[in-house]
Amino acid sequence: MGNIDELIGRLAQDTVAVKPAPHPYMLSLKWMGGAVAYLFLALVLSGLRPDLMLKLHEPWFVIEIAALVCIFVATSLSAAVLAFPDLYQKRGVVFAPVLTFVLFLPVIFCAWSADSPPAPLPVHSFECTISITLVALLPAIWTFYVIQKYASTHYHWAGSIALLFAFSVGALWLRLHEINDSILHVVEWHYLPMIVFGLAGLWLGKTLLKW
Amino acid sequence: MDKTDDFEALMILSLHGDQRAYASLLKETSRFLRPFLTKRLSFTNEVDDVLQEILISIHKARHTYDGKRPYKPWVYAIARFRLQDHLRAHYSDQLRHAIELSEVEESLPEYVTETAISYESIREEVQKLPGKQATILQLMHQEGYTAKEVAKKMGMNESAVKVAAHRAYKILRNKLER
Repeated sequence: MGNIDELIGRLAQDTVAVKPAPHPYMLSLKWMGGAVAYLFLALVLSGLRPDLMLKLHEPWFVIEIAALVCIFVATSLSAAVLAFPDLYQKRGVVFAPVLTFVLFLPVIFCAWSADSPPAPLPVHSFECTISITLVALLPAIWTFYVIQKYASTHYHWAGSIALLFAFSVGALWLRLHEINDSILHVVEWHYLPMIVFGLAGLWLGKTLLKW
Repeated sequence: MDKTDDFEALMILSLHGDQRAYASLLKETSRFLRPFLTKRLSFTNEVDDVLQEILISIHKARHTYDGKRPYKPWVYAIARFRLQDHLRAHYSDQLRHAIELSEVEESLPEYVTETAISYESIREEVQKLPGKQATILQLMHQEGYTAKEVAKKMGMNESAVKVAAHRAYKILRNKLER
């Protein structure tokens, strides 16, 4: 008991005024704002796909982009809540990405069914994964840096969701930049690697976000 | 203090740098966390260690509390996190030092019936052993209890007593062979 009292005394002596962290929704908004600006800049520099206006008349392409945007929003909200030790007492928000991914699966399935006759596979393959990874790098570093300043008690999940958020930015960028109609290619080289990186985030979260 | 509002108010004052409010908040927090830890840990010194870690973590993470939500769930989230950390480290340490029981059972009788060295002659060395091991050897070799009786007396299981005794014999043998 003596040690505890001594420790409390020392901690109380050390304490100074501290600015409370912003609400997770504000944090998420900040991330999304930054990511949208970054995406815009990346698209300005790399260029939009020339057939984008035409593609925006295809319902499954629009739904796929909308589903990706949902993943982007849900992962950002979830990562922000996961940065707090008590999940800001909003446990439900953490599971938002699960819901969006569950919705994403039928969207991809329908887009694949509608791709008839199937569009030819592009000649390139893993280059897409590399491009997405490079674009996702900056948002990933940013989100990890911010979360690390908080106090996540679910660091595995925080790492995983933060990477999914960053890769959703990359995936959105490539879908709006690359001229490619093959849904099989998109699944194989855009979305599956994104999931794999999300799983790698479990380990990265443990390594970088433990406090 | 039993009104939960008081915790939130104290925490808000603490965030503004009020040292007295912070000290009384931490005191109250350690008061309600102690039974929570006692229920989950076996030794008093372990409870104190984990409690200290939790208080330091509360201090480090205090900026993640803004006074706009209940205080206790925030504290318990940190407490559970640190407790799990402690238990994980504790059990992985135990696994690292685990000994096959068959290995112990083969060598144990040899040591128990050893008569070349009397307990009295190595009493000092025994007392230098870690607390539990020293007590086990003392009970078995000075007071003549069997491993089963020692286990009952110390609230441990028989295998754990044998393992602890085996480790103690190993340490003693290394020391005496030097």
